[in-house]
Amino acid sequence: MNKALFGKTAVAGVGVQQFKRGTAPYSERECLVRAIIQACEDAGLDPADVDGFVSYGDDKNEPVRLMSDLGTKELNWTQTVFGGGGGGIAAAFGSAAGAILTGQAKAVIVFRALVQDASGRLSAAVMAHHLNPHMAAAGLVAPAQVCALRAQRLFGYHGVPAETAEAFLQACYYHGSRNPAAVAYGSEFDHDAYMASRMIAEPFHLFDCSRENDGAGALLLVSAEHARDLRRPPVHLLGVTQGAEKGWGDLLENDDADLYASGGFGSVARRLWEQTDLTPTDIDVAQIYENFSAQGVTSLIDHGFCTYESASEFIRFENLIAPSGQLPVNTHGGNTAQGFIHGIGIALEAVQCLRGESANPVPDAKTCLLAGGPGAPIVSSAIFGTAAMV
Amino acid sequence: MIEASPKDLDAPYWAALEQGRLNLPTCKNCGVWHWPPVSRCAECDSWGLDWHDIPLEGEIFSWTRTWHPFGGTEGLEKPFVTVVVAIPAAGNRRLMGLLEGVADTAPVPIGAAVKGRVSHTRYGETEIPTILWHLAARDGDAQ
Ligand SMILES: [Zn+2]
Repeated sequence: MNKALFGKTAVAGVGVQQFKRGTAPYSERECLVRAIIQACEDAGLDPADVDGFVSYGDDKNEPVRLMSDLGTKELNWTQTVFGGGGGGIAAAFGSAAGAILTGQAKAVIVFRALVQDASGRLSAAVMAHHLNPHMAAAGLVAPAQVCALRAQRLFGYHGVPAETAEAFLQACYYHGSRNPAAVAYGSEFDHDAYMASRMIAEPFHLFDCSRENDGAGALLLVSAEHARDLRRPPVHLLGVTQGAEKGWGDLLENDDADLYASGGFGSVARRLWEQTDLTPTDIDVAQIYENFSAQGVTSLIDHGFCTYESASEFIRFENLIAPSGQLPVNTHGGNTAQGFIHGIGIALEAVQCLRGESANPVPDAKTCLLAGGPGAPIVSSAIFGTAAMV
Repeated sequence: MIEASPKDLDAPYWAALEQGRLNLPTCKNCGVWHWPPVSRCAECDSWGLDWHDIPLEGEIFSWTRTWHPFGGTEGLEKPFVTVVVAIPAAGNRRLMGLLEGVADTAPVPIGAAVKGRVSHTRYGETEIPTILWHLAARDGDAQ
């Protein structure tokens, strides 16, 4: 176990502003400032005392530009995780924790803000980060198409049934339909409507794809001691890993044949279990960044909850829903059914489900896995835990 | 983002493709196939690449058929099939390309042999050389 990290920092407050894409009533920066203020009020910490900021996915909001609105006294830590997709989401907590545990900052906001007026379409921005002539010449211009290539291989070569992706989606929609804050609130998942939704890039129908929202999310990370003095029950960071292993990355579709259909979590997942001395059976609930349905499936396989062979046994609707499933996933509805501000909602739910605030509670949940950005060249994962774990 | 420079490691690939030929590189020293190209071979700690003419023959590794009119695909009629093709003559390194001659509803068989020809894809204001693949079995059918 990495004792230097395990339980030594905690999320003490969360804030979010979420709107339908293209309808945010504020500028991107104001959305972000409002989310940060919410997170500080949630924690009971003066926003002026926030001294660090970390983001991911090419966020355009330089923290120094937030200082006037927040009243920041000292800006001591600013970082962003490399990568154009959502693969940096858990890694951002690693950066924040590194700053806190080495005394370089005391109160660090992890954030992501996205308002179409300011940043354009996310899918276009992600692709601009990765696009090259090899891809454009083959008509590959969107993340959906690249993930579709991986999904065809998952289904068509490795033999994982496509029904697993539908079961994953169905669980997201089940939770989203019961969450008043979700875009899918009140709308049940319907198999026929799913199959009838228009084809985007085979095997993905429209329903297989996350759809963008405007907004911003912020989470306040502080030391575990500091968190105990604040208003809310601390949600501890137990472990966090990021990166890519040899044979995975930005390789013009030349990832190793046995990794190609995966989410890219090989070394990330292995090191996460080693770092925390936990195993998949220790995880009570999981928030899995599903940019596309099949990548939700590969994330579960990569983290060892099942294998290609046992995927259809484990990735069943009943198994993935709160409160009684073996591993409830995306208890707020996930990127597909709750909303998608480049995945920050997944991190927010990881914290809120452990505080007992989920719209779909998992009774007595003590641990939550957060997995970010499957299929991206760089991915990351984290495990959060309640005070009972520390 | 998409502009090519003559200093790019893949410049010889594009130059050959413009002339209708497929060129792929090996390490100058140990001969291992590198794609995408590298400046340094980490297998043998040496620098430099040799480029080789490769026949336009391969096997379908994966595929997707795009129906949505994504910005940037205006030059391609929908739906179109993108394939990732493994090239046995180049150590099974893979290339992205387009598959022609399949019905809009036909599944594409992973592992099927394909042959290619060089064409161009319009992307914005530019024409990028690309490989159009077709199922090799069709050649036999036609004879
Ligand atoms: Zn070599």
